[in-house]
Amino acid sequence: MIEIRNLSKWYGNFQVLHNINEEIKQGQTVVVCGPSGSGKSTLLRCINGLEPFQEGEVTVDGVSVSDPGTNLYKLRTEIGMVFQRFELYPHMTALQNIILAPMKVRNKSKKEAEAKAMELLHRVGIPEKAHAYPANLSGGQQQRVAIARSLAMGPKIMMFDEPTSALDPEMIKEVLDVMIDLSKGGMTMIVVTHEMGFAREVADEVIFMDEGRIIERGTDISFFKNPKNPRTKEFLDKILL
Amino acid sequence: MFDAVIRNLPFLMGGFWVTVKLTAFALLGGIPLGILVGLGRISKKRWVYYPVTFYVNLIRNIPLILVIFWFYFVMPILVGRPMDPFPSAVISFIIFEATYFGEILRAGYQSVSKGQIEAGYSTGLSYIQTTRHILIPIAFRRMLPSMITQSIVTYQDTSLAFVIGLPEFVRRTAIVDNLEVRSIQLFGFVAIMFLITCYISSVVSRRFEVKREGGY
Repeated sequence: MIEIRNLSKWYGNFQVLHNINEEIKQGQTVVVCGPSGSGKSTLLRCINGLEPFQEGEVTVDGVSVSDPGTNLYKLRTEIGMVFQRFELYPHMTALQNIILAPMKVRNKSKKEAEAKAMELLHRVGIPEKAHAYPANLSGGQQQRVAIARSLAMGPKIMMFDEPTSALDPEMIKEVLDVMIDLSKGGMTMIVVTHEMGFAREVADEVIFMDEGRIIERGTDISFFKNPKNPRTKEFLDKILL
Repeated sequence: MFDAVIRNLPFLMGGFWVTVKLTAFALLGGIPLGILVGLGRISKKRWVYYPVTFYVNLIRNIPLILVIFWFYFVMPILVGRPMDPFPSAVISFIIFEATYFGEILRAGYQSVSKGQIEAGYSTGLSYIQTTRHILIPIAFRRMLPSMITQSIVTYQDTSLAFVIGLPEFVRRTAIVDNLEVRSIQLFGFVAIMFLITCYISSVVSRRFEVKREGGY
């Protein structure tokens, strides 16, 4: 579903990604972890073309992201993205947030888009918040609306960029539960997170990044039991306490 | 005590109507143009950014009265025939106010989180759709109090159109005063009219500030 070959990216002279290779098959959930500044978010942003890159190739469902002939707008409808700080549109209700893209990009009727949006709000567990503005929702509720907004386009892939890092501890679970549900439902997912419980439960592969390189990867169990790289071990010790 | 005002009320109110019309046209043209000017000022395309920035800096560093004056006297040379004061004043005001509204909105656009724009892109929205449905509405709401203040300033500034002979409120009052010689009374009436209308607008503007949904 996603193929990343020899991906390198620079900001000016600073190289943020070094020769990244990764393949994600349909239905897989891949967890990306690593210290801040290690290039995890940048990697996600290269996959949906929010950031250009200088070397290598990224193909999503057979379509090259860097090919100038690629319609990035169309490609992005296939890739949902959830952000650390939710990024809901503050002037719209939860429901309006969700129906905007289906109506404008897919030309769905308002009625059709709203029916689908309500179904998604049920799925993330907050149908009663459909007409609430983001300012009146808790962080966990906002993030669930953001997930519903991404799902409304019917993406084949969902990317999560530290979806629970900005949440109070008691709200983390409600968001993770939605994500676990999605993963078990067969969604192809890339998740940047340090929630190792989540990784253990659903990850097919865990990648550890440091200074723009993938320095360790493994299926979930091998990754946690015996990390080969001392840097990985050090990091895991810190976050797992 | 308002005898001179009452005797000339239809004539004076006719001038007030010209002032209101001029304000309405200035805002109807100036705000939409200001929305575009603001976008030009945050554009990463040099061929957009530099000309727009030049225009904004040029106009904002010239007094409004000179813009009105120059436009009125230069346009006939360019188009080959004299222009009526009213359309000339309307165009001058649009050109002038758009730079002020543009700078207010530029600040508004820059206050919108980059993530909200990227959230739009990541659902497949185009630049135009993201700008129209996310960037502009958020910036506009956030800047509404300043926009209303600038609109009130525009309304007050319309009297400057007297320099090209536009018979607006202040100009007509001056004409009446030449005949009646009741300056305090007549210009007191003008002041009261401006005071009442501006005060009402600012009260309405404060209501908007309170009613706005919080959190952004």
